[in-house]
Amino acid sequence: MKEEALVRPLSGFRPWLIVGTLVTGAIAGLLFFSWGYQIKNDIGVAGINRPVFWGFYITNFVFWIGISHAGTLISAILRVTSAEWRRPVTRCAEAITVFALSIGGLFPLIHLGRPWLFWFMIPLPNHRGLWPNFRSPLVWDMMAIGTYLTGSVLYLLLPLLPDMAILRDRALAETPQSPRARLFRLLAMGWRGTTQQWHSLEAGIKVMAVVIIPVAVSVHTIVSWDFSMTLQPMWHSTIFGPYFVVGAIYSGIAVLMLAMYLLRRGLGLQEYLSDKVFNNLGLLFVSFTIIWAYFTFAEHLTVWYGSEPSEMAVFWERVSGEYAPIFWGMIVVNVVIPLGVLPFPWGRKPLATAIVGLGVLVGMWIERFLIVVGTLRMPHLDFTVGTYQPSWVEMGVLVGSFGMFAMLYFLFVQFAPIVSIWEVREGDHIASSVPASAQSVGDEA
Amino acid sequence: MSQTATWLHAAFDLPADAQSALEQLAEDGVAANDIEVRSSIPLVHEVCPVGLEVHSRVPLMAVAGGLLGGTAAFLLVTLTSLAYPLPTGGMPIVPLPTVGVVTFEGLALGAILCTVATVFYECRLPRLGGRAGPLDHHLAAGSIIVAAKSTDGASEAWAAKATATEVHEVL
Repeated sequence: MKEEALVRPLSGFRPWLIVGTLVTGAIAGLLFFSWGYQIKNDIGVAGINRPVFWGFYITNFVFWIGISHAGTLISAILRVTSAEWRRPVTRCAEAITVFALSIGGLFPLIHLGRPWLFWFMIPLPNHRGLWPNFRSPLVWDMMAIGTYLTGSVLYLLLPLLPDMAILRDRALAETPQSPRARLFRLLAMGWRGTTQQWHSLEAGIKVMAVVIIPVAVSVHTIVSWDFSMTLQPMWHSTIFGPYFVVGAIYSGIAVLMLAMYLLRRGLGLQEYLSDKVFNNLGLLFVSFTIIWAYFTFAEHLTVWYGSEPSEMAVFWERVSGEYAPIFWGMIVVNVVIPLGVLPFPWGRKPLATAIVGLGVLVGMWIERFLIVVGTLRMPHLDFTVGTYQPSWVEMGVLVGSFGMFAMLYFLFVQFAPIVSIWEVREGDHIASSVPASAQSVGDEA
Repeated sequence: MSQTATWLHAAFDLPADAQSALEQLAEDGVAANDIEVRSSIPLVHEVCPVGLEVHSRVPLMAVAGGLLGGTAAFLLVTLTSLAYPLPTGGMPIVPLPTVGVVTFEGLALGAILCTVATVFYECRLPRLGGRAGPLDHHLAAGSIIVAAKSTDGASEAWAAKATATEVHEVL
């Protein structure tokens, strides 16, 4: 079978996948251990205080929600524009969305301190007469993230059905009684590949791609409104919505480049996640570097030009104060290095894009931290200037969240083909149907 | 007394061969409803029984779901805000800009759920248990399966170019 590399992780015993799952699972355990410690000993074990009442947890929340823009949004845009090179990329991107969003959604619960009271946000009549305040951006958050998570999970699962049917048919022919054959039979849900089924599935994927794009944009816009709806310095900005969306897509592309590189190396997918795919995504990456740099410049220029004292206090703290080293570090990894590497063809090779992607991930986390903590440390009145030092509990939750993301990814590649088999086959079929002369024109385009 | 129908399933490697088999079946007078095409990639516009019209109500149902979801979210916010009025310091109890945010999310959620439900309904899914059909392993390998109900006097010449065939009896 031509797609042997795609199904290899799904068949048989793969020790390094098991080891990877266990190691990342142990790191993920750090999240639950730290969280459990916090639940037992109360929220005071975290470093958050007055006036820095949002710290690592909300930074992580914004960061992970941003990462989630890697998948569904990028995949939907590429589907809507019928970009042929999208085929090997879509599923690994969509999986990133689902896992990052699930992890991001945990952070408000962790930050809540008493997570068992989370249901007060849900509009259910209760004995205390509490009701969600629909005017609050925090309630909008819940609605938006709930919609995006539901849509992203379904958008990942719907195109998985034909692949599960392929795996089911292979497994039933080879080892009909094996647990994997039973599992794939269950997951394929009886997909047969009839004309009507394909017609309906294609219509469904197209509609979902169109619907999911504005939802994805709305999610990070609403997350930005958590900040910009307040009158805090350097939060109350009209461009915060698009600034957050651009930053989210930027960090999303960064994690996608990194994940694709690791999948390519680890699973031997060079044939599918080819240099051409990295080159095309690299061009998108460099575009978003420029757009993000533009937004960051515009945001800081407006504050500096306005010269409003409370805003300038946050501005100078960031540019030449205590946070200057990490601010300028962020500029280096988010702007200087990407613009020094990605515009060149050698810089859009897999390893180079992965290294740049790793740097951008760090830079985007710093950006979220500076937005959250930088402003809260320097509120309007001088006498309330605060300090913030994350505790080991917050560090543990942060590290554990990365472990959890990696663990979920390790598990996913053992149960589903990380590159869509049917979409790649369809691409091959289209390529073989198009005359060679037209193909070369298409490639140039 | 139950009657059985005999179906001949044939696997083709090339879409062109499958399409010529379908044309042969049409010439033999086999009705489009008595033919089934299965493939591992979408070939709706390339390999399709002659005279068969495939329809999908997915776009329509997505719009309907969006309207339903948007209306439900709007009513949830407005009616419950009026039922549980919070102190707003003279601001409106139901401010339309903030209601709009929740309504939009409800609209999108309704459209998404209705889209997926319609796809499942039209595909007759989920259909758990049992094999999907004969020659499945050929389908998994990339072949196109054409199946036709056998009728009196019909020839099986349409399956001449098939790489594998299988007769299947259905109640």
